[in-house]
Amino acid sequence: MTMQIYLKEFSEKLFQDLKSDEQLGLILHSEESTFIRFNKSLVRQNSTVNQHEITLQFHKDQRFSKMRLNLSLDLNNDLQNARMLLVDARTQLPLIDPHPQFFKLANNGQSEITKKIDRLNDEEIPQLINQVFSDSDLAGLWCSGPMRRASVNSEGQFHFFESDNFFFDYSIYNGPLAAKGYYASEKFNEKDFSTQAQDTKNKLSLLSRPQQKIARGQYKVYLEPMAVAEIVENLAYGSLSQGAYNSGYAPLKKLKNKELLFSEKFDLYEDFNLGYVPLFSSAGEISEPKIELIKKGQLESLLISTETAQEYNLKSNQADASEQARSLTLGSGALKQADALKKLGRGLYLSNLHYINYSDVQTARLTGMTRFACFWVENGEIQGPIQDLRFDESLYNIFGSNLVDLTEESSVYLSTSTYLKRSLGALKVPGALINNFNFTL
Amino acid sequence: MQTQSLSQNLHLSKDAFFISEFNKYKNKADFVAFKMISETTRDFTARNGKPDQITSFHDVGVLIEIINDGHIGYGSTCEITADGIKKAFEKAQHLTAVSSRFPTARFDLSVRPPSVGQFSSQRQKSLDQIQLAEIFDFLKQTSLKLKVSDKIVNAQSDAMVIECHQKYLSSAGAAFEQDFNIIVSALSATAQDGNETQTRSFHGGRGICQQIGAEFFNLQKSLPYCEETSAQALELLTADNCETTTCDLVLAPDQMLLQIHESIGHPLELDRILGDERNFAGWSFVQPQDFGELQYGSDIMNVVFDPSVSNEMSSYKFDEVGNPAEKKYLIKNGKLMAGLGSLESQYRSEKLFNKKIPGVANSRASSWNRPPIDRMANINLEGGKHTLDQMISEVENGVIMYANRSWSIDDYRRKFQFGCEYGQKIKNGKITATVKNPNYRGITVPFWKNLTALTNPSTVETYGSPYCGKGEPSQIIRVGHSSPYALFKNIEIFGG
Repeated sequence: MTMQIYLKEFSEKLFQDLKSDEQLGLILHSEESTFIRFNKSLVRQNSTVNQHEITLQFHKDQRFSKMRLNLSLDLNNDLQNARMLLVDARTQLPLIDPHPQFFKLANNGQSEITKKIDRLNDEEIPQLINQVFSDSDLAGLWCSGPMRRASVNSEGQFHFFESDNFFFDYSIYNGPLAAKGYYASEKFNEKDFSTQAQDTKNKLSLLSRPQQKIARGQYKVYLEPMAVAEIVENLAYGSLSQGAYNSGYAPLKKLKNKELLFSEKFDLYEDFNLGYVPLFSSAGEISEPKIELIKKGQLESLLISTETAQEYNLKSNQADASEQARSLTLGSGALKQADALKKLGRGLYLSNLHYINYSDVQTARLTGMTRFACFWVENGEIQGPIQDLRFDESLYNIFGSNLVDLTEESSVYLSTSTYLKRSLGALKVPGALINNFNFTL
Repeated sequence: MQTQSLSQNLHLSKDAFFISEFNKYKNKADFVAFKMISETTRDFTARNGKPDQITSFHDVGVLIEIINDGHIGYGSTCEITADGIKKAFEKAQHLTAVSSRFPTARFDLSVRPPSVGQFSSQRQKSLDQIQLAEIFDFLKQTSLKLKVSDKIVNAQSDAMVIECHQKYLSSAGAAFEQDFNIIVSALSATAQDGNETQTRSFHGGRGICQQIGAEFFNLQKSLPYCEETSAQALELLTADNCETTTCDLVLAPDQMLLQIHESIGHPLELDRILGDERNFAGWSFVQPQDFGELQYGSDIMNVVFDPSVSNEMSSYKFDEVGNPAEKKYLIKNGKLMAGLGSLESQYRSEKLFNKKIPGVANSRASSWNRPPIDRMANINLEGGKHTLDQMISEVENGVIMYANRSWSIDDYRRKFQFGCEYGQKIKNGKITATVKNPNYRGITVPFWKNLTALTNPSTVETYGSPYCGKGEPSQIIRVGHSSPYALFKNIEIFGG
């Protein structure tokens, strides 16, 4: 039985138990994943995960709660467990106060999308990695398998999304020197895989040039798309949330109040046309295919969920309840990637950044580290690798007056987040040329 | 029967089935172990006196470990049925057989000891005895107490109430069960006036982490903390920025938890030193030959791995592969003595370096769906001789900083920058003013060598974190850290 059919049967039976003044939403996360972890191009750990979580969102009399449990796929057992939770919610919820974010569930329609991809069998991966990287010291993770999301409710809504995918996220080493690699595609192509492996090896070989000692200070930098992704990803968590903003967590407050602006070259939007996430939110709401967040450097909108909209009397833009971005895209610019070194001239070429966190939320100041293949450049030519540097710089400088340009070309990164469970989601970003980037240690 | 404790009931109802399934498969590989985790987490928040997050998670699943020709592989499933276990076992067996042709190491059974026993968190009243309404009332009252002024725009009280049961059986003869009752709590107030916004919390966001029962919810004890927290948030609105200078720095225990975690705990993890984490969490500046040799800090620095402390977040009897857990010095009189390395990492270090690096019982996983890896548990800095007043009186020019709010460190765990919620300037041995946005930065070993005084054991405070991240696939784990107040000389500090 497929998960779609199981979910239909499970939900129909559960909805039959509801009383006339009760509503129930069901949110599914399901995955059948394979993880193969490598160290020194050998397998450190292999694991498989069959994980199916269902969240019961119970609404009654101005109150709601969310109760999550795992599905065993034994229908009677799963129904029994879910019914126990509903009995408990009926008893406990009336004893607490009405919820300021209460809203009535609505029927947001039906959709069923299943995406298949063409990939290698997992059993072929240990040998493939060992062979392609037999000359390298590689550490990394192969991750593959189907992921499912669904949002179903007692008003008749049924949205189901299934997507198979894979990624190989890795780095290769020459002693302490390292270069980062990444491969994901809708169709595994041996030639493309080998090409990207060779590109990573070539980058590692550049690191054998003489080490450059760089003092703290301000430098012009070129950020590769993966480095830009680290900054933009940081924005996706909380910084764009209307609910967080109203609670005092507001790094973009000055942008919202137009006290400070980003560069006119800066456009940031949710783009569901990328196709890596379902169009529906966890509540099953369908948003516009494109939500403008920052346009020509000015804040157009934050992410507003129905819960936040209800509490603060705002208009929802169908953001997920978490108000985290799901398919964020940073618009491209006019700089050709091939010209990046020439336009950088003298400065730092940064492939990756690491461990970014706000050092001061009010001024949107971020701190973090350079990581992997990062170089000192003079006269448009790579001189050699640098020792890792700490930066401390405001978003208003990075994406404001110091932003010289973004590249014409962009890269798409599937989410590689696997905390607790795999994440759906993607990020599309260009490279960026930035003046006066501040390094402090 | 309370459904809030569904997982606890489920593990009891699944117990006989779990044992019979283990017996069915225990002879089908060189080594087989089954671990069942059932965990109920109730995560509730009151914001400005009203309900906010009201969620629960009833998480039950099985992890299967298989050793094939010395290589260890894993399969996991929440489908706790005969078909589900069969599918998970066969997938794990097949992939482990293929992977065992390219193993990082070939282990023997010394890495899976046949431990037998049980453990329960100390508590007066079990957490399955407390209802949503009782917890919500505590959160509502505390969040209302935090909202002392219209300038407090967000007054939030959270409680994460966790009941976790582990059961482990192995073909080598291990059979143990551990039962944890844990509460993670946070009280925080965000004050705003014009463009100035400051948040102050009670010992940092979710820093209050304990193995404890329902007796935790004591309003009489908690309400005064709320008043103090909000008063300090309002105080920060008009405080001067922390100055930018190099001076003495006193760190309170609720910031030391982060300092210990990031600049001692992570770099001492042996799997990092062995390179497993290089692509994700990072490597370590610590080298295999540093154990027994490296002067990590000043000679008053004594750091222990101690899973035996009553009520600390990560106390246990066995790690998750059955290694009996006991207290061990990681750093003694400033010298590096042992690493945070499981039996597997110790075994690998011996094969790679012809010298077994001393380790501890720290093979842990976030849940049934992740393999165990080297993790922190309780990592504690022991107390010194000073009273806090004596310590402050010895500072000519410095700042004392409380409660972490910002953290970042490089992938070798060298260059760090941390920010705190609340600071106080110290001039000529006296606290003179409150400062906002206090931050400091440093490099791990020189920083710890600048440690010049610690307050005495009676001042040691215990905190923790539920969110230590690491691993591919990624895992979060619960950790505990205790520390006295600590004085460091010549540290770079700066403000907002």
